[in-house]
Amino acid sequence: MKNIEISPVSRIEGHAKITVQVDDSGNVADAHFHVMEIRGFEKFLEGAAVEEAPRITPRICGICQTAHHLAAAKATDMVFGLEVPETAKKLRELMLLGQYIHSHSLHFYFLGAPDLVLGPESDPALRNVVGILKSNPDLAMMAIKTRKIGQMITGVVGGKPISPVTAIPGGQSRGITSEQQADLLAQSKEAITLIEQGVEVAKPLFEQYAEAIQSLGPVESHFGGITKGGTIEFYDGPAKIIDKSGNQVYEFAAADYLDYIEEKVQPWSYLKFPYLKQIGFPDGNYRVGPLARLNVIDTIPTEKAGALYGEYKDKYGVAQNALLYHYARLIELMYAAERAVQLLEDDSITGTDLRQHLSEPLMTKDEAKESSETRRGVGMIEATRGILIHDYETDAAGFINRANLIVSTGQNNLSMDIGVRETAKQMIHGEDVAEGLKNQLEMIVRAYDPCLSCATHAIDGSSPLEVDIYDSEGQLLKKHLL
Amino acid sequence: MVKIALEALASCSGCEISILDLHEDLVKLLDQAEIVYAPIIMDVKEVPEDIDIAIVSGSVRNAENKERLEELREKSKYLIAYGTCACYGGITGMADLYTSEEVTSRTYTDNPSTEPAELPNEVVPELLSIVHPAADFTFIDGFIPGCPPKEQLTHDILIPLINDEAPDVPKKSVCADCQREMEHVEFDKIHRRIEGDPDPGKCFLSQGYVCLGSVTLGRCGALCTSAGIPCHGCGGPALDVLREPSHDIYNGVIKRISHLSKMPEKDVEKQLYDIGHVIYGFVIGSTTMEDKQVSLIPQLVKK
Repeated sequence: MKNIEISPVSRIEGHAKITVQVDDSGNVADAHFHVMEIRGFEKFLEGAAVEEAPRITPRICGICQTAHHLAAAKATDMVFGLEVPETAKKLRELMLLGQYIHSHSLHFYFLGAPDLVLGPESDPALRNVVGILKSNPDLAMMAIKTRKIGQMITGVVGGKPISPVTAIPGGQSRGITSEQQADLLAQSKEAITLIEQGVEVAKPLFEQYAEAIQSLGPVESHFGGITKGGTIEFYDGPAKIIDKSGNQVYEFAAADYLDYIEEKVQPWSYLKFPYLKQIGFPDGNYRVGPLARLNVIDTIPTEKAGALYGEYKDKYGVAQNALLYHYARLIELMYAAERAVQLLEDDSITGTDLRQHLSEPLMTKDEAKESSETRRGVGMIEATRGILIHDYETDAAGFINRANLIVSTGQNNLSMDIGVRETAKQMIHGEDVAEGLKNQLEMIVRAYDPCLSCATHAIDGSSPLEVDIYDSEGQLLKKHLL
Repeated sequence: MVKIALEALASCSGCEISILDLHEDLVKLLDQAEIVYAPIIMDVKEVPEDIDIAIVSGSVRNAENKERLEELREKSKYLIAYGTCACYGGITGMADLYTSEEVTSRTYTDNPSTEPAELPNEVVPELLSIVHPAADFTFIDGFIPGCPPKEQLTHDILIPLINDEAPDVPKKSVCADCQREMEHVEFDKIHRRIEGDPDPGKCFLSQGYVCLGSVTLGRCGALCTSAGIPCHGCGGPALDVLREPSHDIYNGVIKRISHLSKMPEKDVEKQLYDIGHVIYGFVIGSTTMEDKQVSLIPQLVKK
């Protein structure tokens, strides 16, 4: 029995490792995707005044901070029973679109594309965005410019490009001026042009790698995404769950998620495995994120993304192939820029009715102690990597008693693990594994754009760096702490 | 070519994103410097020897973080603690408000969406008992606080470092950049940050809101206060708070509110709420702050 280790899994957000166990006859006995870093947000949010949550939780993840900021803000709206005015809702959606433009272009061009543009077996020292900068400077500059526009949108609307601050209970703390509107509109239009160029480069790659798309990371699962009446939707709406064939099985509002989602703890991993509660584990495995969203929706109502979606849908139907996450991500990137243009062409975006205020004074902490009343707020949003839920229960004064977070990447954990294991079984024979082959295992994980800072927000401990060695009957022989 | 390494310890990766936020300037910087190790964007799996500048973000939460930090120290000439987590423990330090058992129990056994289960107990994770900033374990050549540091600051620091020159960094508090007007107004109530409708032209403290601008290092351009949000202290303590043993974030804020409102300090103290999250949110893991005689951190942290 020999253990093959890929560590760290690179070009992902956070710390992870892949281990593959090869038995004496050279066959893969088992393989796992291990997650290595852990913090403690669900616990240390306890005691916080709930209005601080939109400021604390963006630090769960420096890449999808806007999604945490907004999911938290939506939960606080509900805690205080506040209705967000239309302009503020549009600003929040715009801020989220900035997040999509930054995060999707970061992942597609900087993290995922080097495998496709330079090839999975290219020199690992050059297989990165700097390598692309050298071999294809125009493509790299296009990537940098696209991402920059996303960060500018979030910066202007959210106050800062990383860990924005303007979403507060009941609305937004600040609006945008007509000068800012004009500037962001011009930038968003430029983003569409840049993304069109990116699509031209990317589309042939999906043809070139058709075989890898079919073979890498096989798994069949349910899918979950937010949609309003079948239309693509990032900011607000119920979650829809479909089965492997695309038939709807559930639709639920944020506050009801506990009836549909449960998380499994596996002894070999610190990262939990969410699944569909009514179906059970592991059959209730479901995926989220770009691939899932495009499977769940029926339409993208913007011109260019809508056309790309139609073409993609005709070709792949209900897509199960993990590498198609990249294609779906690119289509969403286009939608995000087009939707930003739509919002910015609407003059109500500069409106000044930004916030509903509390109608009565808050209880003091001492008064709340005397009261048995509790409050609850659940915010659900489509983060770039999939459904994100923030659930806070507070005392009568709005101090958090209990926080529960269902983050996007956790929901893809089981599929990443299965994908790595099945591919290892198919491709690895013998103990000597070429670097390019190892990179293909990493490519499976990368396709999901896992955000392990998010995924490991919950646990305050050290890493689950364990390798289990099983015999051919599946009996656990030995455990190693790495 | 100057060799640069980037490593995130227990963190959110926002610091690495802030470096990518140099955008086109990053490309120019790459004319002079070569990134030799950075798992978030490249596939080099081993930390190489002879690094000129290692930029470490995140706090030290577990043994692996500590080993990686020490390895980078050994292999680099100049080690920078980049971001408030690496400098002061950062927001992750708030885990010190609870015990590790309380945290893991919340995750595995007492969680509304989780089938109760034993902790993944076949591994004994080598968890450090508290959250540490990088300097608790090794010599740090430079500290760049900020959550994350602003891209312009990174630019202004990295370029001189690459050219082997001393960077000139701003040393003032957030208030120095804030456009709001500070004034004396008599009041007797501290507001939660969501209460009322703060006047956009006036200092938050002058209106009875807890704003940490006066006690926070201001290299952010006062972005939050100009966005209508009080300072949360993410940039870490201002230099006078760090230098003076009798000056702390908590008593600094109280003195300032009392001075502006004529409320006795005792009354301000009585009304302050959620001190762990609102006042000390980014520095609980910092020994510098905890060692101060006037700090409330030791009382907040149950160990």
